Amino acid sequence: MSEGTNFDYLFKVVLIGDSGVGKSNLLSRFTRNEFNLESKSTIGVEFATRSLNVDGKNIKAQIWDTAGQERYRAITSAYYRGAVGALLVYDISKHATYVNVTRWLKELRDHADSNIVIMLVGNKSDLKHLRAVPTDEAKAFAAENELSFIETSALDASNVEGAFQTILTDIYRIVSARSLEQSADHVKPSAGDSITVQPSIDTSAAGQKTGCC
Amino acid sequence: MAARPPPARPHIGLNPSPRFSSYSTSEWVDDDAWDSGSDSESPTKTSWKQPTSKHASSSSPKPVPKSGQNNSSSSTLASSYTHLHAPSPSSYPPRPEQPQPVNKNGWTIVSKSTDRLRGADHDESAHTGDGAAGAEGDGSDLILGDLDPEVAEQPAPAPSKPRQDQGSLRDDVDEIVNDPLHLIRRRPPKRNHSLPSSSEPGGQLARERSIKSNRRQKFVGCIMQEDVNMAQLRKLAWNGVPSDLRPVTWPLLLGYMPLPAPLRASTLARKRQEYLSLVELAFARNREGLDQQIWHQIEIDVPRTRPGVKLWMQASTQRSLERILYVWAIRHPASGYVQGINDLATPFFQVFLSAYIDSDPEEFDPTLLPSHVLNAIEADSFWCLSRLLDGIQDNYIATQPGIQRSVKRMTELVARIDPPLAAHLESENVEFMQFAFRWMNCLLMREISVENTIRMWDTYLAEGADAFSQFHLYVCSAFLVQWSKKLREMDFQGIIMFLQSLPTQGWTDHEIEMLLSEAFVHYSTWHNAQSHFGK
Ligand SMILES: Nc1nc2c(ncn2[C@@H]2O[C@H](COP(=O)(O)OP(=O)(O)OP(=O)(O)O)[C@@H](O)[C@H]2O)c(=O)[nH]1
Ligand SMILES: [Mg+2]
Repeated sequence: MSEGTNFDYLFKVVLIGDSGVGKSNLLSRFTRNEFNLESKSTIGVEFATRSLNVDGKNIKAQIWDTAGQERYRAITSAYYRGAVGALLVYDISKHATYVNVTRWLKELRDHADSNIVIMLVGNKSDLKHLRAVPTDEAKAFAAENELSFIETSALDASNVEGAFQTILTDIYRIVSARSLEQSADHVKPSAGDSITVQPSIDTSAAGQKTGCC
Repeated sequence: MAARPPPARPHIGLNPSPRFSSYSTSEWVDDDAWDSGSDSESPTKTSWKQPTSKHASSSSPKPVPKSGQNNSSSSTLASSYTHLHAPSPSSYPPRPEQPQPVNKNGWTIVSKSTDRLRGADHDESAHTGDGAAGAEGDGSDLILGDLDPEVAEQPAPAPSKPRQDQGSLRDDVDEIVNDPLHLIRRRPPKRNHSLPSSSEPGGQLARERSIKSNRRQKFVGCIMQEDVNMAQLRKLAWNGVPSDLRPVTWPLLLGYMPLPAPLRASTLARKRQEYLSLVELAFARNREGLDQQIWHQIEIDVPRTRPGVKLWMQASTQRSLERILYVWAIRHPASGYVQGINDLATPFFQVFLSAYIDSDPEEFDPTLLPSHVLNAIEADSFWCLSRLLDGIQDNYIATQPGIQRSVKRMTELVARIDPPLAAHLESENVEFMQFAFRWMNCLLMREISVENTIRMWDTYLAEGADAFSQFHLYVCSAFLVQWSKKLREMDFQGIIMFLQSLPTQGWTDHEIEMLLSEAFVHYSTWHNAQSHFGK
């Protein structure tokens, strides 16, 4: 069963990026502190949650890990709807997965809400000797496209917590700022309403939030 | 475990024979298996029953030009000792880190009348060497190999060179390659003494074993016919195929191996040779000559196939799987390689491998296999996988319409079978696509073990050509509904998490058979009504 309703905010986040870059392992590292050198490929989507504390608020992240293969795009893009955050993952040791970041951004533009918070994640930072994407280059690209940026390793766990913490904090700040605007307009705010993008696939979960007001 | 009392199994409580007779044998086996020059790739010739013509045209693959050299001579292969000097597929694709195989001779095709005698001689000597065997096998001497499957399935001690750590190769692999029925004609070299039932002949266990042994006798009788009766074979296989008979039964059910016995050896030889040529053609140029997109995805997925299982972690198995998947993908450009197809190849490989060894396939190191045996396993796996996929191709083409349709129909079906569950899922905003997509894409292989899958496929293959797209819907529905009570107490997140990792770890044939029976009941109730519901 779920952890119940003891959270202040529930944010839906998607993990996207080429097949094999380590999305599923980032998720299992974050939610279960597990890493699998030989994990099975993701078929369609997989789902996991974890709660984090941000500015004293209990934030529950509902994370959808999507399949990377092109053929699944029709299925997986349906899950972008309602997402307030996206971790766009590439593999620092495979240049092609970095090149494809542009394509993934277009996917998000086409299918996700325009306010979605996007973080570029260069995974497998442990593979230093195989690095094919310089950190500075990716950093510059992220800045240009107004994305936040981080390098992670699901294998040695470095920055995994940080990546999720950062994106959830960014989302929270945006959401709570909007709540303030709304309350100034005497609109009774609730955490659910304050997320401008309503989850459409899993509205039930969004509806369960205990209001923060 | 099931939410409702299980119905009687089809072979007891319901008579499945009307269903069986509704397919004509020719529909199922009207086939190219011995029709040289074709390979079931052409939609007009396919043995799979095509539900709609749209399906056939939208997914029709473009045949790859074949080297025609093999077809003309195929009929003579069986009767002579032939060295074809075909390339060993194990040398493709060239991998710098892989040692080249020592044996580059390729096929050695041997089929002589003495094979049978030699096999029998061998059996006899092994048989008489063991006192327990006589007691158990009495009265069954007419049908060699008529054993309780439990006994036959035991990893029998190899008569020679046992290599326990890596598994052991049978000493008669050459006979088995050339004559699939050799497996049945010969007795396993030794009986296992340690079975408890031998000391309590009147017990329940003994009764069960005698039922099984009786079933097995029928099975063997059916397969040994000069011209196998497909309707009878399907009826028997529906309830499960004894594991040592699978390497023969599956190819018969799939129409890969011809029903008339005299055609089998030559057909197998031809198809295996044809596969070798396909491999040679596909990997004719170096790595840069491969379709990069397809090859890239296969390379990522092969090491992630059955991770942790020794057989699938072996470099040799992984190279075989790469070739199977790549050759299939380039011959089916409308779909190419799609993740999940790798999973579907594994049951075939394990079943065919099991014919040649006396140990657990999953623990086996295939480098122990002579190259012509490995080639045979690989080729048979390829062709059988191709036949299976022929029936579900629109699961894998762009936008995956087959899966979309199946999930929609499953949603409708569950609403009929279990309205409270359907209502609960809807009220929790659970969409079937969120969990059932994978059930369709990987035929439940991510939900149940390979052993479970293999048992399930006995029934699917017996059901008929379209079972993997039609009957499977009913299995998926029955699969979901059996957790109805639990699911109805869960919220969105609980439901999704539960359905993502279902507690099927301890499942045996028994649970699968319950599921299949349940599915059959739903199928009988709803299948013809399908056209009436939905819009
Ligand atoms: N060295 C290293 N390997 C990693 C890391 N993260 C993942 N991997 C490996 O990369 C391979 C693919 O990882 P997955 O997590 O399955 O990749 P994915 O992005 O989910 O792939 P799809 O499900 O096919 O889209 C696996 O063999 C992992 O063990 C990492 O941080 N470092
Ligand atoms: Mg994944």
